[in-house]
Amino acid sequence: MENLEEKIVQADSLETLEKVRVELFGKKGVLAAQFAKMKDVPGPEKKAFAEGLNKQKTALQESFDARYEVLKSEEIEKVLKSEAIDVSLYGTLAQKGALHPVMETMDKIIDYFVALNFAVESGPMVEDDFHNFEALNLPKYHPARDMQDTFYFKDGGLLRTHTSPVQIRTMMQTKPPIRMIAPGSVFRRDYDLTHTPMFHQVEGLVVDDKDKVSFANLKSILIDFLHYMFGDVDVRFRPSFFPFTEPSAEVDISCIFCEGEGCRVCSHTGWLEVLGCGIVDPNVFKAVGYEDVSGYAFGLGVERFAMLMHKIPDLRSLFEGDIRLLEQFR
Amino acid sequence: MIVTRSWLSEFIDLSSVSNEKLYETFNSIGLEVDSLIQVEIPKKVVIGKVISCEKHPDADKLNVCQIDVGSGTRQIVCGAANVVDAEYVAVATIGAELPGDFVIKHAKLRGVESEGMVCSSSEIGLPEMGKGIMILDESIGELEVGRELSSYEKVADTIIELELTANRGDCLSIYGVARDLSSALDIDMKPFEYKQEDKIKLGIAREAELRHTGEMDADLHYKLATVENISDSFLVQLRLAMVNVEAQGKLASLLAYVTHTTGVILRAYDSRAFRNSENKICVLPAAKAKGIMEVIGNQKVLSVVGVNQEEDAMATDETNELLIEASYINPDILSEAVATTSLKTDDLYYKTSRGANPDLNFGLSFLASMMDSYTDISCYEGSLNVSVEREHETVIVDAKEISSIIGMDVEIGKIVTILQKLGFEINTMGHDVIAAVVPLFRHDIKHIQDISEEIVRIIGINNIEAKPFVFAEKPRLNDTTARYQAKKEFKNRAVGVSFYENVSYVFSERALLEKYGFSTVEESLELANPIAEELNTLRSTILVNLLNAVKRNVSYSKKSIPLFEIGSVFGSKREQSEVISFVFSGQVEGENVRNAGKPQMIDFASFTQKVGAVVGAFELVPCTYENGLIHPYQSANIIVDGKVCGFLSKLHPTVQESFDIPETFIAELDFDALLPQHVNATPISKFQGVYKDLSVVIDKSLNYFEVAKVLNGLDLPILKDIYPVDIYEDEKLGDKKSLTVRFFIQSMEKTLEDSDIEAVMGEIMTALESECKAELR
Repeated sequence: MENLEEKIVQADSLETLEKVRVELFGKKGVLAAQFAKMKDVPGPEKKAFAEGLNKQKTALQESFDARYEVLKSEEIEKVLKSEAIDVSLYGTLAQKGALHPVMETMDKIIDYFVALNFAVESGPMVEDDFHNFEALNLPKYHPARDMQDTFYFKDGGLLRTHTSPVQIRTMMQTKPPIRMIAPGSVFRRDYDLTHTPMFHQVEGLVVDDKDKVSFANLKSILIDFLHYMFGDVDVRFRPSFFPFTEPSAEVDISCIFCEGEGCRVCSHTGWLEVLGCGIVDPNVFKAVGYEDVSGYAFGLGVERFAMLMHKIPDLRSLFEGDIRLLEQFR
Repeated sequence: MIVTRSWLSEFIDLSSVSNEKLYETFNSIGLEVDSLIQVEIPKKVVIGKVISCEKHPDADKLNVCQIDVGSGTRQIVCGAANVVDAEYVAVATIGAELPGDFVIKHAKLRGVESEGMVCSSSEIGLPEMGKGIMILDESIGELEVGRELSSYEKVADTIIELELTANRGDCLSIYGVARDLSSALDIDMKPFEYKQEDKIKLGIAREAELRHTGEMDADLHYKLATVENISDSFLVQLRLAMVNVEAQGKLASLLAYVTHTTGVILRAYDSRAFRNSENKICVLPAAKAKGIMEVIGNQKVLSVVGVNQEEDAMATDETNELLIEASYINPDILSEAVATTSLKTDDLYYKTSRGANPDLNFGLSFLASMMDSYTDISCYEGSLNVSVEREHETVIVDAKEISSIIGMDVEIGKIVTILQKLGFEINTMGHDVIAAVVPLFRHDIKHIQDISEEIVRIIGINNIEAKPFVFAEKPRLNDTTARYQAKKEFKNRAVGVSFYENVSYVFSERALLEKYGFSTVEESLELANPIAEELNTLRSTILVNLLNAVKRNVSYSKKSIPLFEIGSVFGSKREQSEVISFVFSGQVEGENVRNAGKPQMIDFASFTQKVGAVVGAFELVPCTYENGLIHPYQSANIIVDGKVCGFLSKLHPTVQESFDIPETFIAELDFDALLPQHVNATPISKFQGVYKDLSVVIDKSLNYFEVAKVLNGLDLPILKDIYPVDIYEDEKLGDKKSLTVRFFIQSMEKTLEDSDIEAVMGEIMTALESECKAELR
């Protein structure tokens, strides 16, 4: 019997162990033979014999199980080992494209205003004089039209120079209260290092009853918005002039490159201009037939935001599908 | 608009205001500071008095000067020709450090000792002021020999460039800027007082007359003067150089100086241009059209008010008798009139079209005061005037209304103070209400919000406390918002299957679109003023832009170029629609260990799979689109929900060659057709289903979609799914091919018996035999 025990322990593979199992526990195995002897054992000794045998069987079973466990895990380990690969070779297999940084920035801007329950509105790119200029208090020959070099069509149509005509269209189609943004492409006839003939703006407009919307409200939302976009920056408002708002202001943030110390990007002023805004001019409300209302409006250039946020040096590269730039945003 | 600190100081006391404060104030009142430069004159540059000046014995172009520099007389060799006219000059004495690390030392020039240098403006850090050295005079203050030039505040001035918005014509003068500062800093303006002494005791009417015809839109004042000798001053030249105003000659300099100072538009004529046959000066302004006021002398148009002046009629430094004109015309009327004519405008038009100063007497008096000091000039008594009755705008200002626009309480007293300093006349109307009479020079102010703007900029926006807006709740998730969100979803999916988002101009090149057979905008609706040949029309496809981007990326050594763009395209009537376009060029994936560095090139199947991962389920049928980019035998119509919504194709090899790019696939789909539709779920069977394959031999030319049409037409409710899994051709089959189709069969009611399945397969085979001439393989 000791011999048997030895055999179990010395089995070096699951196959050998299986042979031992058959030899031991099989129908014609050693144990079966022992149990068969039972009938020859005299009555009074039977009990002791059986007990002894069972004890032996249990002991052998335990050794067997233990050995089986060992060999089984050795075998699994062998299989696992045989499947080993150099995982570090495969990191480059991942294939993912990227959103365009300007579009991603636009999405981020839209997300903010949608979370504040602004509706997203849109309008055509080919506009007419009324929606793009006239209704926005930019009568013909107004010097401010010089600021916006316009693409015209032979029939007098034009490519919108800003997203503001969407304000006009929305106001003419709906009734106050209005709370909207208009993201989209706009066009100026200008092409150099810092200007492209097409770029993107996001326009915002809020209109409610007379005396309800104030400049203080405009300040509040824009300061919060700029903190959302740029983090912990200082925000400065400077009075300015836009024909469609009055009072008007330009909004600066403290330079995110030099933290206000003064650098090349901020022309050593410590400030970066990022937004234009104001209280809607009464002439604009008059043009769309609104009475006894008040409102504010603001507009921003998405490329400028994207370039500042991601430190992209070249505006024109944004319109060239340059994968060397895009793949950085994967 | 460029101003200088000392120039402003002529109208407002800035002694208690630092440059930092000035910078801050300008920015906060909406006069944005582009640059603020403190002129630094080097030490040891002093006032010198030229005692004598002789030719250098050995050099024609050099002069040897004896100059008193306070601490003694120095011999200095000077190369500037104009030193011979000079009495007072700026001398850099020994040890002076000039800009550019130039230190003045003892020197010997062609054998003559020289102890210092007579300076030109640019040598000591001032702007360029014409040829030669600076000839100083008392216009900068009392000249004390030996005193350092840097102690003259009119020389060591602060130059401030302001960026003015289009509505602020009133700040196109030193006086106007000072007026704005006066309100912002709460410092009173210094009064300008000048009593002109007309030296000729003859009335102007003895020599000249003024008769206008038509309805005048302009104010005109004329003065007549005789001139013996005209001269300007060093300060005039210096300041004009500092503010970057160019003027030819002394008279022109004086006029430019006065206009820059006062904002009043001045022109000088040679009076002879107006003398008629009776030798009388006859000035005949005539209204040619609204806003076009011609000034006529001797039947000739000599100038158009606010627009230009005939060169022949202009007075020069040699003119003996001057007719000086001050004019004002409403800028709104003027700019509209000029825009509708083709009149040539001169430099002054920038000011007149934005609003010059209507206070003509101020301009003329200021000019007279300047001329008195430096010019031998005698004016005739009085002036000839045309004046237009203009109604001043009056705005009723309610403090409560102002407060609600701004969102902060502003007291009426504060409003009154601000407006008065800005030149408004105030009449009290009642408690908290005033009538503000708008000065002519603020033609931009028309209503209460314009007044609010003035209040806001003077009290400072940064002093307004931000207050969140309380808004009535209302759902605002409209169709545009939903569309925007769907677009974002598509973009994210495209990125997930390796596409990069492209953004390109909605422009294209007309010739290129025509070449590739895409539609173009009708000629009569075409862009009138494109910016460049290659951007001369609106695009009707994004694909050409994408191929250009591919070409660029190939030149950047990119081997796998997957791009997509969602954007607008335009039809022949310029109707705008949105498409989603894909291009995939070169290797289907990056080089890696799996593909042993040799990835497959993009093919029809891989491209279709990727496009499908973005746009969702679709069917492909042979292509019916026609354009030069499409490969005739590897192209398909894309069908979504039964409708053709775009195409997918291999790029035509000749186009591929002309772009010089590797194998490329393209697709363009109507974005609207892809917008997600509402889905209703269908019940799912609880019973086991079976897959069955059927291989049939059919004509080589028969496309799968025709087979599918037959199969889909069968009315077999338990036939749940049909799709092709294999296609096989060989010589034995000849002009036939073998097609294997897999079917999924499942019942809603029961577990299928073999007989049920066989019945279905039988029916399928019968249909294929009769409709597609198929044979069982």
